[in-house]
Amino acid sequence: MTDMLQKLKNAVRSRSIHVAYVDTGSCNGCDIEVLACLSPRYDLEQYGIYVHNNPREADILLVIGCCTPQWEDKLKGIWEKIPEPKAAIAIGNCPVSGCVFNREGSYVNPPASKHIPIAASVPGCPPRPTEIIRAVLSLAPTIFADYEEKRQ
Amino acid sequence: MKKTVDVSIPVGPVHPCWKEPVRIKCETRGEHVIGTEVEMGYMKKGIERIMRGRPWQEVMFLAERVCGICSVVHNMVFIEAMESISGITPPPRAAYLRVVVNELDRMASHLLANFSYCYTIEHETLGMYLLNEREHVLDMLERITGNRVNTAYMIPGGVRYDLRPVDEKVLRETLDLLDENIARYTKMFETGPMIALRSKGVGILTKEQALEAHAVGPTARASGIAVDQRTRHPTYKEIGFEPVVRTEGDNYARIMVRFEELKQSINLIRRALAMMPDGPIRGGGICKGGEVRYSGEAPRGELTYFVKADRYGRVEDIAIQTPSIMNIDACSHYMLKGVSSIADVTSTFISSDPCIACNER
Repeated sequence: MTDMLQKLKNAVRSRSIHVAYVDTGSCNGCDIEVLACLSPRYDLEQYGIYVHNNPREADILLVIGCCTPQWEDKLKGIWEKIPEPKAAIAIGNCPVSGCVFNREGSYVNPPASKHIPIAASVPGCPPRPTEIIRAVLSLAPTIFADYEEKRQ
Repeated sequence: MKKTVDVSIPVGPVHPCWKEPVRIKCETRGEHVIGTEVEMGYMKKGIERIMRGRPWQEVMFLAERVCGICSVVHNMVFIEAMESISGITPPPRAAYLRVVVNELDRMASHLLANFSYCYTIEHETLGMYLLNEREHVLDMLERITGNRVNTAYMIPGGVRYDLRPVDEKVLRETLDLLDENIARYTKMFETGPMIALRSKGVGILTKEQALEAHAVGPTARASGIAVDQRTRHPTYKEIGFEPVVRTEGDNYARIMVRFEELKQSINLIRRALAMMPDGPIRGGGICKGGEVRYSGEAPRGELTYFVKADRYGRVEDIAIQTPSIMNIDACSHYMLKGVSSIADVTSTFISSDPCIACNER
């Protein structure tokens, strides 16, 4: 009985992914590529991905931008607001390495994994919308499968 | 003393309708907004500071990462500033190719701005149509320059890639498609009764107020000020260019100015393609020392670069003035004052097309 329930949960969780995104100081390039995923050509919603900007009902957080000092505590706050099970994906080069902004004298504090646990990253300046969708779709089933068993 | 402000409502910094973090504090009496204050500083990266002391080859890539939406025009203005310091003239074919790529970028930016507005007033259908058109424009950018965003297409003395005949054919076909579709969507916006209720007469910026706040770009042109830096650009002068002006000064006028500029951009690209001569795309030249203040027209208005370079082409000092600074000021001081409900605050703010990444750098 519990097996069946778990299977049902796994199936449902991999087909209904709620996404929130947070812009921690990007140049807008990755930001609008996430926005372009909404367009009818890529059509996120056919895969069961819904973009809300509400962390309280999200499963996956897309972190964009190179973590400016103003966002250090706020990023943690947003991460804590997301209910379990959850995962964060870094979009673009900025949360991975700081990209061109990580030079002496700039006001950035990358990588994002210093502040919150990052499960996957999509490098690129900016990555294509198809790559972003592929990352979300390939990460979600592995993270959310058998969540209750893993927690024990 | 009588209490005038009921409650101060913060909107943002993370808001579903906004692409970037910014906070607006609205002082309200009932639903009526009597004053607003914009709080920024979430995106400050210090780009100008890391630009100093670097050669132009590096600053070029940093300049286009000031803003990802209008990256082509940042690249173009910085390169043309370096060219005017060094006395380099691009070959005619390269100059026309710059216009083609710049106008494609402007179309992508205007379509995104109008999508945001339609999304904010909950007209999601029209918004999605516009976002789909934007993909066609980005396809053309990718075909010509090799990348969707951050193209690094222009270099001192020319451009990187030539326009092949097959690309030109596809570009003309796409322009025909865009012309047809954008005319349809403009009519949808123009004649929609619900859109008119949400847009007409909301967020009015009069001509005097626009002059006082030094509004630029579509925000100023919707208030009756014919200001456009493209009228001073040599290549645009050859092609023939007249700025689009409307006089209402409300949200509806600002969005309609962008729709009309989309049509204008299509015609500019067509004329540039017709006038484009054959020949080389790179003329060469060496960047020299000197200082210059150079302006160009970004999708949001006048963009100015002050560049001071030493004799090896290294940037000693640089200052960037982006259009959103003036437009956000005009928005918070004049447009948002007297807006009749909090629901109109977001749409009025979006209608001035603020770019926070440009603004804070």
